[in-house]
Parts: sequence; structure tokens; C-alpha cells
Amino acid sequence: MDKRKIEENFFKLLMIFSTLTVLGSLAFILLTILWKGIPALSWEMVTQSPKGGYYIGKAGGVLNAILGSLILGIGSTLLAIVLSLPIAFYLNLYLQKKSRLALAIRFALDVLWGIPSIVYGAFGFTLMLWLKIPASLLAGMITIALLIFPIMTRGIDEVLKMISSELKEATLALGSTRWETATKVIFRQALPGIITAVLLAFGRGISDAAAVLFTAGFTDSLPHSLWKPVATLPLAVFFQLGTPFAEVQARGYAAALILTAMVLLLNILARIIGSRFSRHIIK
Amino acid sequence: MRPHISVKDLSVQYGALTILNHISIDIPDKKITAIIGPSGCGKTTLLKSFNRLLDLQEGAKVSGQVLVDGEDIYDPGTEMTHLRRRMGLLSQKPTVLPMSIYENVVYGLRIHGEKNKSKLDQAVEKYLREANLWNEVKDRLHDSASRLSIGQQQRLCLARGLAVEPEIILGDEPTSALDPVSAEQIEQRFLALKNQYTIVLVTHILRQAKRLADYVIFLYLGNLIEHGPAEKVLSSPRFVKTQAYLEGRFIEEFPIAAELDLCGGAKQDFPFRFEESLRGLTEGQIFKTLVDNEGLLRQILDLEQGQGHKVLEVRQISSTQWEIIIEKRGIGYSI
Repeated sequence: MDKRKIEENFFKLLMIFSTLTVLGSLAFILLTILWKGIPALSWEMVTQSPKGGYYIGKAGGVLNAILGSLILGIGSTLLAIVLSLPIAFYLNLYLQKKSRLALAIRFALDVLWGIPSIVYGAFGFTLMLWLKIPASLLAGMITIALLIFPIMTRGIDEVLKMISSELKEATLALGSTRWETATKVIFRQALPGIITAVLLAFGRGISDAAAVLFTAGFTDSLPHSLWKPVATLPLAVFFQLGTPFAEVQARGYAAALILTAMVLLLNILARIIGSRFSRHIIK
Repeated sequence: MRPHISVKDLSVQYGALTILNHISIDIPDKKITAIIGPSGCGKTTLLKSFNRLLDLQEGAKVSGQVLVDGEDIYDPGTEMTHLRRRMGLLSQKPTVLPMSIYENVVYGLRIHGEKNKSKLDQAVEKYLREANLWNEVKDRLHDSASRLSIGQQQRLCLARGLAVEPEIILGDEPTSALDPVSAEQIEQRFLALKNQYTIVLVTHILRQAKRLADYVIFLYLGNLIEHGPAEKVLSSPRFVKTQAYLEGRFIEEFPIAAELDLCGGAKQDFPFRFEESLRGLTEGQIFKTLVDNEGLLRQILDLEQGQGHKVLEVRQISSTQWEIIIEKRGIGYSI
């Protein structure tokens, strides 16, 4: 066989191998969660708060963490959207492509993206001490919002970059201001991509444990105030897997299963809603 | 003839690259003006300077003036949304907005504050009819515009542009992406609309310029080579480069054998110095004359051309200087 053919086959095999590795890992994770979690999954698990000695293997469920994660995840995502959309539109419609400010902003966002979430947790904690906020839903939300907003912003930024300059020109040529161009035309065209970016950020936010460890705290009661600690699923998983009791560990897997299912469901839901608003998209 | 758009000494540069070089020209009112020339000669740049879409090009430096109805649109006080509203734009690739057919047409009206539903409905019908699209889409006005064929999309863009009631229509090779039938429909629309609008059309299709244009501008490498009434420029062009382009020949730069600088000199002795320069050349050689005065430029251009020379090109090189490229010919040679 000649050299070029060997080369071609070698790299093709490498690509197939990589793809299988990734898909295999995903399947492995899902199967592990299912296999270990399903036995412990029960109706009480998703409908009740922890009851007397839940963490040593007694009755109750993780409703506190389910609701906590949901509220924390959605709240911080909304907060992050409020920050991300203006930055992404500013970068793409108001700043010139190669302007130093744009380069600096993108660089800063990429650096923020790379900072580990435990550092955000520590930063959030410092901020709380300054502002005298106790470990609470609010503090957790703010910390998670800070953690996910660079991811969201860069995601939306990449989507907006792909919008053709002709569309911007055509809209401006009709006498639109940049604001009208951004909100009435570019936003619609970019909506599916924006939804993807928001979901990516949401998934990252709802499943992070380190950032909420100090900031949101943990509690057995259901979330009821912005100023009170709140339970989250990743921490529930963390605590339960950390116990020496097999029964409780199994509940940890069940909680992980619930978290995964929630992310999946919200993704599907957001896509359905998104597709209703994006039927006029230019392909 | 009142000019609608008046370009005065317009230059556009990107860094070291000159895209437009001291262009001065008048675009006549309620006529079709075609800007022709090979690719990369600055046609689109000239067109986009009229509605200041040029501002979006990063790094573009514009100097000179563009007057629309006598107002300098590069004046810092120019309200861009008003300016652009006065000009409809048809781009090379039809660009519908990501909304329904109906919303596309009323987009401009809505942003300029029209809320009355029945007025919007009337406008949709009126302008879709003007763009000759009404019969094809009247039953599906709320479908996505992006589902229309490419030819229908371009007519929708025309309707959308007309709906804001512009005075000027700018077309940047508006038929180049279309099939022949759709292209002809767009051309028909232009002919039908030219009594109400000033139409400026960039085209690389010479036959299209012949079919449509009343007035023609020929650009080459950022220089304005020739302009005038269409039948004159297209059938008996004055300058060699225009002839070469129209005949599909390769356009060559002129080998300059001598230069004559008439800048700052006394006006009266120019015929003498001119004659002298001519005498020093052999037939077929080319010399370049530099003048800094429009009166003198006219005088040289008015010289009898049968008498031993022919003007090949006139090029403005700065706001007050012109280059005249002249070829020595035999006495009695007729053009």
C-alpha cells in the first residue's frame, strides 16, 4: 500500500476511535447513573423533603434540592442573559471587528470562562462578606450568574458573528437605527443560536457544585426566601455519595439521574419554544 | 437637467489602497444611471457612498462631498436614518428579513412609526403590486419570506424598499444572482419606475446597461474614465479605455513617453508649449499633461483633435489637478 493511502486510513481510524471514545464515555456515564440510581428512585424521592435522618438512610426525598437547583439555575441564567445579550450585541453591532476594545472584551471573557468554579465560589464568598449577604439563594444565584455569563456571552457572540453583513446592511438601508437592527432583525435571525448558548450556560450553572458550596449553602427545607440558604442537586449528590452507607450512595445516584433528566427536559422544552419563534429564519 | 446626487471630489481609501480617486459626477434626477466597469473598480463603493453604508466598512476613509438635493450627506449633522430612508437598496444577493412576507414590506413603515393596520395593509398591497409580486403571494402574506424563490425574494426586497417612499433606488448588481426570467422582471420594474425615482444601478452586464440606462458612468481602478448619456458612452465612447472595455479587450495602462507640466504657468502660452511637446514626439507616442485649472482643462479638451493628437484619458488626481493623457497622431488623422 502506498504511503498516502496508509496516511488516509490511519487518520480515518483515529477519527472513528475518538468519536467512539466520546460516545462510549457518555453511554458509560448514563448507564452508571441509571444502573445505580434507578433502584433508589422512588416517588418519595422527588416529592418529599429529607426527613429525619435522611442522610443516614431513612425516609424522605430530595425535593428541596430539585426545587433549589431549578430556581437557582433559572434565576442565574436570567441574570446572566441580562448581562450577556447587551455585551454580545455591543461587540457585534456597535464595535468594529478589529477594535482594541472588542479584542480586550473577548480576551477577558475567554479568561473568565477558564476560571475554575471553586474560585468563583471563593470570590462569591468574599463578595458576600463585603456586602453582608448570608449564604443564600441570592448569593448562589449571583455567583452562578457570574460563572456562566462568559460562556453565554461568547456563545451568543459567535452566533452573532455568523449573521451575514448583508442582512445588517439591508436593515440599516431601510433607515433602521442600530438598536432596531439588533432587536428587530438580528435577534430573530440569531434566536436558535442564542437559545443554544443560553442552554449550554444553564446546563453548566445548574450542575455546578463548587460555586454554590459556600455561597448558597445547603438546607433540608424547601426554598422559600432569597435570603435563606438553598439546597442544590449537585451538592445533594456530593453529600450522599460521601457517606459510607450504600443505601444513601444509591440515592446520590438517583439524585444525579434526576439532575440529568431535568437538564434534558429543559433543553427539549427550550428548543420547542424556540422553534415556534424561529419559523421565519433565513437558512 | 437638475442633478439629484452630486458627487464632488470623492475619494475613498482603505489603508494604503485607493478605491475611489477624486470622483466628481452628477447623477441626473428621475433617470436610470448605470455604473459600469470591471470587478474591483470601485462601482459598489461609489454606490454605497450614496447612502453611507460605506460607514460600515471598517477602515474606510472618505474625503470629498456627496450632495443629495444639495445637502452634503457627509456633514456630521446628517441624520442617518432619514438619509437612508430616502434611498431604497437592492443588493446583489436578495436579503429578505427573517419575518413574514407581510412584515418584510411593512418593516420600514413600522420603524418609522406607522401603526395604523389598514394603512399597513394598503401599503402591502400597493408596493407588492408595484414590485409585480402581489398576484404570486397575496394568499400567503404571512408565510416566511425566506420560502420564496430567489427571484421573488428580490422583488420583495424591491417592494420593501419602495414602501418607505424613497426618492432614489440604488441597485448593486441586483439581477446577478437571479435566473433570466426573474432578472427580466426586475429590469421591467426599473423601466416602469424610472419616471418616479432616480435609479442608480451598478452592473457588470453591458447589455443590461444598454437596455436600461439613460446615463452611464464608467469606472476603472477607482478612476472616473468617462460618463455621459448612455447612447453616447456606449456606442461612441470618447476615451480608449472605455472603448477597450466595451469591446471586451484587455485594458492597458499607457506607456508615458513625456510629461508636460502646465501647473501654475501662464495661461496664454499653453498652446505654444503644447505644440512644442507634441513636436518632440513621434507618432503613436504618449505624453501626459498636468493642469491645475478647470478652464485650461476645457481648453485643451476643446482643441481640434484631428490636428495631430488624440486625448486618451482625463483623470483627476487631486481636488485641483488633472492629468490629460494624449497620443501623438499623424496630421490629418481623423477619429
